[in-house]
Amino acid sequence: MKTAKDYSNHTTPTWCPGCGDFSVLRSLQAALAHLEIEPHHVAVVSGIGCSGRISGYLNVYGFHSIHGRALPAAQAIKLVNPDLTVIASGGDGDGFAIGTSHTIHAIRRNIDITYIVMNNQVYGLTKGHTSPLSQTGFVTKSTPYGSIEAPIRPGLLALAAGATFVAQGFSAFQDQLVDIIIKGIQHKGFSLINVFSPCVTFNKINTYGWFREHLANLDEDKNHDPSDFQKAMNKYIETDGLFTGILYQNHHQDYYSQLPGERKVPIIKQDLDIRHKLDELMEDFI
Amino acid sequence: MPLTENITLMLGGIQGEGIVSTGDALIRALSRAGYYAFGYRTFSSRIKGGHTHYVIDIHTEKVLSCKDPLDILVAFDGDSIEINLPKLKKGGLLIYDDIIPEQELLQHMDKKNYFILPAPLTAIAKKYGAAVMRNTGILGLLGQLFHIPFHFFAGVVEKNFQRKGEEIIRKNISVLKECYELSLEDQRLSLEYMLMPPKNPMARASMIGNEAIGLGALMAGCRFMAAYPITPSSEIMEYLTKKFPDDNGIMMQTEDEISAITMAIGAAYAGARSMTATSGPGISLMMEGIGLAGMAEIPVVVVDVQRGGPSTGLPTKHEQSDIEFLYHGPHGEVPIIVLAPYTVEECFSQTVWAFHLAEKYQCPVIILSDLHLGLSRQTLDSLDKGNIQIDRGKLMRDEDFNPKEELPFKRFRFTEDGISPRAIPGQPFGMHHVTGIEHLETGRPFEGSQNRKQMMEKRLRKLKDLENSDHIDLFGNGEGHLLILSVGSNYGILKRVIEENQYPATLGMLRMIKPLPVKQLKELCGKYKKILVVEGNATGQLASIIKKEVGYHDKIVNLLKYSGTPFQYKEVQSKIEELIE
Repeated sequence: MKTAKDYSNHTTPTWCPGCGDFSVLRSLQAALAHLEIEPHHVAVVSGIGCSGRISGYLNVYGFHSIHGRALPAAQAIKLVNPDLTVIASGGDGDGFAIGTSHTIHAIRRNIDITYIVMNNQVYGLTKGHTSPLSQTGFVTKSTPYGSIEAPIRPGLLALAAGATFVAQGFSAFQDQLVDIIIKGIQHKGFSLINVFSPCVTFNKINTYGWFREHLANLDEDKNHDPSDFQKAMNKYIETDGLFTGILYQNHHQDYYSQLPGERKVPIIKQDLDIRHKLDELMEDFI
Repeated sequence: MPLTENITLMLGGIQGEGIVSTGDALIRALSRAGYYAFGYRTFSSRIKGGHTHYVIDIHTEKVLSCKDPLDILVAFDGDSIEINLPKLKKGGLLIYDDIIPEQELLQHMDKKNYFILPAPLTAIAKKYGAAVMRNTGILGLLGQLFHIPFHFFAGVVEKNFQRKGEEIIRKNISVLKECYELSLEDQRLSLEYMLMPPKNPMARASMIGNEAIGLGALMAGCRFMAAYPITPSSEIMEYLTKKFPDDNGIMMQTEDEISAITMAIGAAYAGARSMTATSGPGISLMMEGIGLAGMAEIPVVVVDVQRGGPSTGLPTKHEQSDIEFLYHGPHGEVPIIVLAPYTVEECFSQTVWAFHLAEKYQCPVIILSDLHLGLSRQTLDSLDKGNIQIDRGKLMRDEDFNPKEELPFKRFRFTEDGISPRAIPGQPFGMHHVTGIEHLETGRPFEGSQNRKQMMEKRLRKLKDLENSDHIDLFGNGEGHLLILSVGSNYGILKRVIEENQYPATLGMLRMIKPLPVKQLKELCGKYKKILVVEGNATGQLASIIKKEVGYHDKIVNLLKYSGTPFQYKEVQSKIEELIE
């Protein structure tokens, strides 16, 4: 039996009191405990920002990478050692500004990792700047007259990119979030989990109260069928992306299982010495 | 008439019509027959159309450069004659496909100055099926002129068309044979280009630098590569993606170079030997990642096959202008090793070495190649199997851990040599944190000034011993007052000019640029009166670094080139003569 505590390294987070990220951290710990994954078999790769610190608060292999680049590192870790449970995490800036391209390509590549976006719709650690997920009109230090740009819709973007698992959670709905993370980890392929994780300091619009008022819960929607792509698209449009639960899931083959070669042993467990093959390899060049 | 030991020829034609594969096939056949060849391609940034040419220097001894002027010009189209005839020496041979109208020719040349051989290459090819087989035809004709046994060419043609089936092979062999036996109108030609028998006849391999880096990586145990296609480095990813499945390796074509370096870092962090390869614009994008690898002490190998910069610059042309950028980059101060191979054999062995150094010192290692080295095909002497020893440095095996030691594992433990024991994910007693933020021995972020100072010193201490080792390879008998220092593919032409003219000069090739071999440089620079630094850029980057680290401003002069082509024989010759007077 494992408990959430087994995945804590007892470091006090630098997050503000009330930050939504605390709940994401606890939910991830609870999900790992539920699945009874040995801590040393888990790698959590994070980006930069308040959210990026999460890899440093877990009793697992934590890799705090660079801004927007958690996904490339996480994908490679999984490919060379498929025995690991690999979680990528970061903020909305990581995933949908500086690293958007990696997000799209990670989705279409479908490597078996779980990507948790701790989405607060603002740049908190830079002390309040607009994010690509901020609402139009959002006022920050970098948009004193209100943001003119339309926000990215992560779920639609993911569906369009060929996602095999798309879900959303909310920091205040922790039981549901734990359940989603469990299912995301169990999903054999790339799972995107967008978590509404309110910034209590710099986002006075999208607050806990605001989300409680606006979020629909797909778990309570009897007509929702996550295996139906068309319905998922419609649901996203209908709710304007304001929902929690699993939006879409299919079981297309993941990347690793389609690679050429026998793949009986992970890369990191192979004998690297192939000196005996040099003469044979040289034949190509004669 | 004496037989010849050296012929320089050019194949010229329209890009996309098989000039490169024809040149490659010729080099293979010559290498099988016991000769040495070196081929340099000129091409432009487009898929089809435009003029392209391939210069091949053939020798009975090892050759690593192309001499000018040309002995033979082979033209597949009128442009090739117009553009390249001035490069043909007086008394040289022009071979052209006789579908080129003769009037076009006459406009450009004084026929008395040259041997002229109009050859029915397209006509013969069409007789057996397709005009494209004229590329096979020219091989046969050259085989005849050089007096190289037919079977060497037939063997290469068979191998090249193996996958296309029996019928294609048969047709090509027919074209090859008819051209090999073509009767020559000008009887003088039958002996004029007869090659001296090879000195040590044996079948040798031929390879480009990029292939040698790929092969070196494979032998070094690299099993993960992430890369974004870019000229002139793509052949490395192309080679590995083809070969990796046999050894369960993975080559990932990424969405950009930032992803490529970060994936390579992720794979290395998780315990694989991993790499990426790129050129100027890509290496610019990779700098942040290289900084992370330096800070987080992750062993990753990065290849930069230099091309003309800045920006998109001259994307298909040669230059050596990333030297200072890599010497000084990335932002902040991290330990980085920069190696510089100068032959194809060195591309192989330095790649093996790069993976060794990366894991020994737990830092990024950059292999600085250049277009002329990366893409020029050369006949190889044997590759050095002896230096392939896979030593993973301070990587912990499961049995090395002390289970009683408190977690997290001190991945960045302060040690005398600055190098810490390294654990990888999956190891039960190795759990730790890794970050690009300044950190404690456990990897936890920490900004305290005392720890900061200690950590900086730990990282920078790692490479100290390399500065005191010899990493300049010396050529020549040590006589004279002139020392020539250079990097990369310049080696071929420099060595040739010095040897053929018996100049009293010593050539030193830097195989490591960072850390600069300061001790060896000081000794060398003190010994010689004049120091010529030869490099393919406009500002004398290598010379600047040497002056900064070693001094001798008064002795150091530069020979520079930044026109997009490698140094030519006469350019090097006249500079050296100016200095040894």
